[in-house]
Amino acid sequence: MSEPAASPHAAPAPPESAPPESAPPESTRTGPGRLLVAVYALFALSASARAAVQIATQFHRAPVAYLLSAFAAVVYILATVTLVNGSPTARRIAIWSCSVELAGVLAIGTWSLVDRATFPDATVWSGYGSGYGFVPLVLPVFGLLWLRYWAKRTRSERTAAPSAGDAEAGDARADPGTLATGPGLSEINVRAAAGSPASPGRAAGAAEPAD
Amino acid sequence: MTSVNGAVPTTIIVAGLALAGYALLMTALNRRMGLGLLVGLGVLEVLLLVLIGLVVARLVDGGRPPSTVTLIGYLIAMPLVPIVAGFWGAVERSRWGPAVIAVAGLVAAVLMVRLHEIWAVIHV
Repeated sequence: MSEPAASPHAAPAPPESAPPESAPPESTRTGPGRLLVAVYALFALSASARAAVQIATQFHRAPVAYLLSAFAAVVYILATVTLVNGSPTARRIAIWSCSVELAGVLAIGTWSLVDRATFPDATVWSGYGSGYGFVPLVLPVFGLLWLRYWAKRTRSERTAAPSAGDAEAGDARADPGTLATGPGLSEINVRAAAGSPASPGRAAGAAEPAD
Repeated sequence: MTSVNGAVPTTIIVAGLALAGYALLMTALNRRMGLGLLVGLGVLEVLLLVLIGLVVARLVDGGRPPSTVTLIGYLIAMPLVPIVAGFWGAVERSRWGPAVIAVAGLVAAVLMVRLHEIWAVIHV
């Protein structure tokens, strides 16, 4: 089926001269994030379509289940959009959506098993997402791991900034979204501010290309 | 009688799983998207379109599933899966491009099972 002759063609087709370094800037939507966004988009679409049909055609049958389906759909849409965006603020919202999602799948999963009468029809999160191959349970975990990787990465870039130049530190301070990303980050922001008294960094920071 | 030929959904399941396996192999080998995966997606797309044709023919014949809205939604979304995955996988110039294609293959297989649940005349 998947013709073995095709595998040698897999690499040479695109211009091999372009090294990975010259690829478009990395973000939460590139690399493993590409897969994450694909699965999130799939769930955003299927959950919202399903909830829309259920609420429109048979809402009285299982109002709690269908409203929870709609809520799950909103969370999936939010996670998809914020992962695609990837800005510090978007990542903060993404952490919230993934956390709500994880809490939701655990809570609704338990609730659906304990109180079956409330869930005559399944939601995405019923039975810990068993109707969807437990992907709803695994997805937020990978999402949070991916976002943690990005938080760490941004942090190490920021800590490296004062030695590399004040421009980076100025940029970090100018960015309101990073301030509340986590206790570790704000600490580093303070340190970066204290370690680089040169205020011209802010002017240089403005010229810094947006990450 | 009024059942949809089961050969096409079965072929789609086999093709989807084969494509997913091939794509995951590419991911494991650290390859980016290539011609092989694009051809695989094309084959999957054609098979899906054939199936849509068969199902629509059944609808035109007067057959109705329990939830027509859901079926129509699936018929609209189904052919988009290989196309969107192909685009999203191709812009990624790393091993994660093929990983996206693997998802599309698996989704195509799962969709066949769901279609049968939505409308039992669509056999697998």
